Amino acid sequence: MMNGSHRKVAPKEKRFHGGEKMETYIQAIVNGFLMGSMYGLIAFGLTLVFGIMRVINFAHASLLMMAMFLAYGLCQVGMNPYLSLIIVVPVFFGLGYVLQRTLIERALKMEAGVREPMSVLLLTAGLLVLFENLVLLGVGPDYRTAKTIYTGATFKVSGIIIKTAWFYGFLATMISYFLLSSFLKWTWLGQAIRAAGQDRDAARLMGIDHYHIYGVAFGIGMALVGLSGTILVPFYYIHPAVGWVFGIGSFIIVILGGLGSTAGAFWGGVIIGLIESLGAQFMNATWTIVVVYGVFLAILFIRPAGLFGLKFEW
Amino acid sequence: MEKKSGMKKIGVMIAVTVLIALFVVGYRNGALHAQTREVLVGAVFPLSGPLAPIGQHLRCGADIAIEEINQAGGIKSLGGARLKVIYGDSTGDAKVGVTEMEKLITKDKVSVVTGAYQSGVTLPMTTVSERYGVPFYATGSEDQITERGYKFTFRSNEKTSWRVRDQVKFIMDMGRRFNDPVKTAALVYENTAWGQGAHRDWLKNLGEAGIKIVIDESYPNATTDLTPVVVKLKAANPDGIFYCSYVSDAILLIKTIAEMEVNAKAIVGLSGGTADPNFIPGVGKSCLYTFDCVRWEPDIPRHGAKALCEKYQKRCGVIMDTEVMKQYTYMYVIVEAIDQAGSTDPKKIRDALEKIHIKAPDPAIKFVEDELYFDHTGQVFKGSMVGVQFREIDGQIQRVTIWPKQVARKGIDPVWPMPKWSERKK
Repeated sequence: MMNGSHRKVAPKEKRFHGGEKMETYIQAIVNGFLMGSMYGLIAFGLTLVFGIMRVINFAHASLLMMAMFLAYGLCQVGMNPYLSLIIVVPVFFGLGYVLQRTLIERALKMEAGVREPMSVLLLTAGLLVLFENLVLLGVGPDYRTAKTIYTGATFKVSGIIIKTAWFYGFLATMISYFLLSSFLKWTWLGQAIRAAGQDRDAARLMGIDHYHIYGVAFGIGMALVGLSGTILVPFYYIHPAVGWVFGIGSFIIVILGGLGSTAGAFWGGVIIGLIESLGAQFMNATWTIVVVYGVFLAILFIRPAGLFGLKFEW
Repeated sequence: MEKKSGMKKIGVMIAVTVLIALFVVGYRNGALHAQTREVLVGAVFPLSGPLAPIGQHLRCGADIAIEEINQAGGIKSLGGARLKVIYGDSTGDAKVGVTEMEKLITKDKVSVVTGAYQSGVTLPMTTVSERYGVPFYATGSEDQITERGYKFTFRSNEKTSWRVRDQVKFIMDMGRRFNDPVKTAALVYENTAWGQGAHRDWLKNLGEAGIKIVIDESYPNATTDLTPVVVKLKAANPDGIFYCSYVSDAILLIKTIAEMEVNAKAIVGLSGGTADPNFIPGVGKSCLYTFDCVRWEPDIPRHGAKALCEKYQKRCGVIMDTEVMKQYTYMYVIVEAIDQAGSTDPKKIRDALEKIHIKAPDPAIKFVEDELYFDHTGQVFKGSMVGVQFREIDGQIQRVTIWPKQVARKGIDPVWPMPKWSERKK
C-alpha cells in the first residue's frame, strides 16, 4: 500500500517566510470576501423586506432552509444546481407574494396605524418555528450534502485556492445586486416599491396599490432567499436547523449595514466575512466572534443607523 | 305474587350491588396493578435542532432495548412490570435540557433519567437530579460530570480524559509502528464543555508525549464556516491534527481540509460528530485515511453484536455507532438496577446503581465491556478505546478498527501517514 511512500520526511524546505505569511493573508482575504459577499446576499432579502414594509421577517432563516431543501431536491433528480435557479427563484417569489397577501397583509391591516407592527413580528416568528418543524417531520433530522460537480471543486490563481462554488456564489451576488438596484432605480414598479417604502400613505394617494407592492417586495425578498439557498447547496450541508446558522448573522449584517439598505447588506456581509477570515489568522476563532460583536457595537455607537442607513436610502 | 316480586327486587338489588362492588374492587385492583406494571424512565436527547440526527438515533436505539426488555418479560422483581420511556427534547441547548429534566421529574414522576449526549447539556442536568434526589444515569464525556461529589449521578460513558489518553496513545503507537512519528500537533475543538475538556487533556497528554502544539484553536460550534481555521492550519503545517467536533462542524472541517489541501500525517477525531452516521455521507471521500478514537465499533468481534447491528440498521436506517450502542446498553443497566431495587422509588434505584456489579455474559453489557460497576463517584471503573481509520472498501467508505491489534479488523493494514492530497484522485 502507501505505507512506504514517504516514510522519511525530508526536512521542511526553508521558504521565504514573509512570502508564505503573505500568501496566507491573501488566501484569508479572498476567502473572507467571497464568503462575506454570500452572507450579504443572504441578508439582502431581510433588509429589503424591512426597508419597504418595516417588517422584520424572523421566518427568514427557515425560508432559507426550505430553499436549500428545494434546490437540494432538484440536484438529487439530476439538475445542475445553478440551473435549478430557474425553478427555485420563481417558486420563492410566488411563495413570498402569497405569504404576504394571505398572512402578513392581514396582520398589517390589523395594526395599520402602527409604524413597526408587533403582531407581524410574532407572526413571522411563529412561521419560523412552524416551517422548521414541518420540514423536520417531513424529511427527518439527517444531514445531507448534495453531490454536484462543484462540490469540493477548487481552482488555483497563483497559489491561492478558490472554491469553485464560492466563486459562483460571489458572481450570483454581484449580478443580483446589480439587477436589483437597476430594477429599483429605473423601472416604474421599482420606483413604486421605493415610494411605498418611503411613505405608504403618500404612495397610496399617488394611486399605488401598496398591498400589491408589498406583495411584490416580499416576493423579491423571498426570491433572493431562494437564490441564496441555491448557491449554498453545492458546498453546504442541508438540515432542518441550518437556517439558524446563518439567521443570527443575517440580522447582525442588516443592522451593521443599516436596516433597509441593500448596499449596507453587501458591505456588512463582507466586513463580517473579512473579520472572521482574516481575524482568525491573528487570534482564536472563538475570539473573532467577540470582534464581530465589538465592531457591531462600535458602529452602532458611532452611526446608530448603521453604515449605510440613511433615512431615505433609494 | 307481590311477595315474590319483592323478593325478586331485593335479589336484583343485591346482585347489582355485588356487581358494582366487584367492578369497583376489580377496577381499583387493575389501577393498582397498572401502577406497578409500568416503570417510567425519562430520557433527554437533542431530538430537534442541529444535533437532531444523533438524538433521533439514540431514541431509536433505546426503543429497541426497551422492546427487547419488555418482550423478555419486563422487570422480574416487580412482577414483570413493563418499562416505559418518556422522552424529553433538549434541542441541543443546556437551558432547555434542564427544563426538560425538571418536567420529567416533577410532572411525569419518572424513577430514573438518562441522557443527554452533549456534555454541556448533561452537566447542568446533574444538578437538577441531585436537587430532586432522582438518579441520573448520564452520558456525555466531560470528566466534571462525575467529579463534583454528586450522589445521584452515575455514568458508564468513558471520560474525555480517557478518550484523549487513548487517542494520543493510538497516534503515538502508529507513529512508532511505521517509524514516522507525529512531532507537532494542531488542536481544533468546539468551545463548549466537551471541547474545553478535550483541550485540557490534550495539553497534558501531548505534553507528556513530547509533542509540540503549534495551533490551539477553539471555535463556536454553530459556526457558519471553518475555512479561516483551516487556512491557519495549512500555514502551520502540523504533523497531527487533533479535532473535537459535533457533526455539522466535523463535516465543515473535514470537507474544508480536503478543499484547502491541508496535508498531515494524521487527522484524528474524538468520537462525537466523527462517529455520527451522518458524517461519512456528509463529507464523502474527504474523510478517507483520517482517524477516529471511540469506545465501540460494529466490526469488533463480540458475540451477538452483528445481529443487533442489522436489526438497528433495518429499523433506524443508519449504521450503529458507538454512542447509540452505549445508550442501548444503558437501558439494560437501568433495568438491572430497577430489578435489583425491586421498587420504583428513585432513592432505592440509586442505591441499587451504587451496588451494581455486572459481568460479561449478562445481556446488559455484553456488547461493550466485560464488567461494569461504579466507583465512589458514580463513574464506571474503566473503559477502553479503539482506533479507527476511514477507508474505502469495495467502493464503500467504512470505519475500520485498526488499533489495538487484538481487536483490529483482519486483512486491512493501516495507512500511515495519510497520503498527500496531490497524490489522490479527486
